[in-house]
Amino acid sequence: MAEARQAQHELPNLVSLLADKIGRATHLGEQVYLWENVIFSLLIVFVISLIAYLASRKSKMIPDRLQNALEVVFGGLDDFICGILGEKGRRYTPFIGTLFIYILCMNLAGLIPLMKSPTSSWSTTLALATCVFVYVQYTGIRELGFLGYLDHMMGRPRGILAFSVFIPLMMLMLHIVSELVRPISLSLRLRSNIWGDDLLLSVLAGFGLVGVPLLVFSALLAILAAVVQAVVFSLLTTIYFALVLTHEEEPGG
Amino acid sequence: MELLKLLSTNEIIAQVLGFLILLTLLRVFAWKKILGLLDKRKEYVVSELKGIEDAKADIAKIKLEYAANMASIEETAKEKLHQAFNESKIILEDARKSAHLAAQEIIDNAKKSVQYELAKAKDELKNEIIDLTVKAAENIIQEKLTGAGDRKIVENFLGELDKLE
Repeated sequence: MAEARQAQHELPNLVSLLADKIGRATHLGEQVYLWENVIFSLLIVFVISLIAYLASRKSKMIPDRLQNALEVVFGGLDDFICGILGEKGRRYTPFIGTLFIYILCMNLAGLIPLMKSPTSSWSTTLALATCVFVYVQYTGIRELGFLGYLDHMMGRPRGILAFSVFIPLMMLMLHIVSELVRPISLSLRLRSNIWGDDLLLSVLAGFGLVGVPLLVFSALLAILAAVVQAVVFSLLTTIYFALVLTHEEEPGG
Repeated sequence: MELLKLLSTNEIIAQVLGFLILLTLLRVFAWKKILGLLDKRKEYVVSELKGIEDAKADIAKIKLEYAANMASIEETAKEKLHQAFNESKIILEDARKSAHLAAQEIIDNAKKSVQYELAKAKDELKNEIIDLTVKAAENIIQEKLTGAGDRKIVENFLGELDKLE
């Protein structure tokens, strides 16, 4: 994996510089370099948690600036999620909302000098997509029961005679594959977009002063892409929840 | 397979743990508090708005009642005024009548009094004349009547009359 990563074109960051300082050939230096994304992720976790704690520790009916900003973000996410999932959406708001904030911060981290987007690593995005996958499956089984969930996966209408067995089984297989592919598509989409943005920025940074206008333009595009990708990931997650939470009645029973 | 080389199981586990830690922290410190506060504020705003609407409705009701009361008060005042005016008219008419009657009575009494006084004066005059006539007759009878004597008697009589006047 380390070899594959070394082949990537990346801007230097705090951790890679530290690893270089220690010496990548050494065990510690190699470990630091390998855990680079995790270190940045934990840093972002710490910053988000700290901001959330500072904003909400003395929450008042008349908010101060920080609390107000947090309320705008949290309220907006709650409206967005409940707008799709309905009244039940409030239960999933913390999960999807946290996912959105976390991904957005990780995406934007790459635009800060000496930082890196942890989401440019597939391991990071696959970890998040796995969390989504597990929670969605758990929600589906909890809401419908195990057999009910299988029944849901078999789809409708069932048809008659031979088709009443064959088609539902085919549908079940298809759904299982579809469910298993979801985390891969979800994680690869995010990782590839952010990795592409970071790669483009690092290439443009190599142009020197000539590349500055392009770099500025690309940075603006990268900000847009970071927001859009966070929204896409969260939106798809919300839709996955919506698919297991809503089960329309078959016409005619 | 090239793509799979980018994956690291340890990193995935660490990232999952990192996300779960963040989720737990945010759930405890932020989501519950902020969403609870937002709900509370929403309820507060809704209740306040409802209160304002209720107050508005009350004010409108009070205004209507006030207008109705004012109208009835004006009506009552007009009625009372009219009634008082009518009563005053009646009282005035009565007073005029009674004053007229009293005046008529005074005039009648005065007339009666004048007539009485006049009759009394006439009687007194008559009595005086009779007395004088009797006196004059007595004088005539007591003395022998002559031309000069008669004249003297008449002059005395006239003198007496002058004295009486």
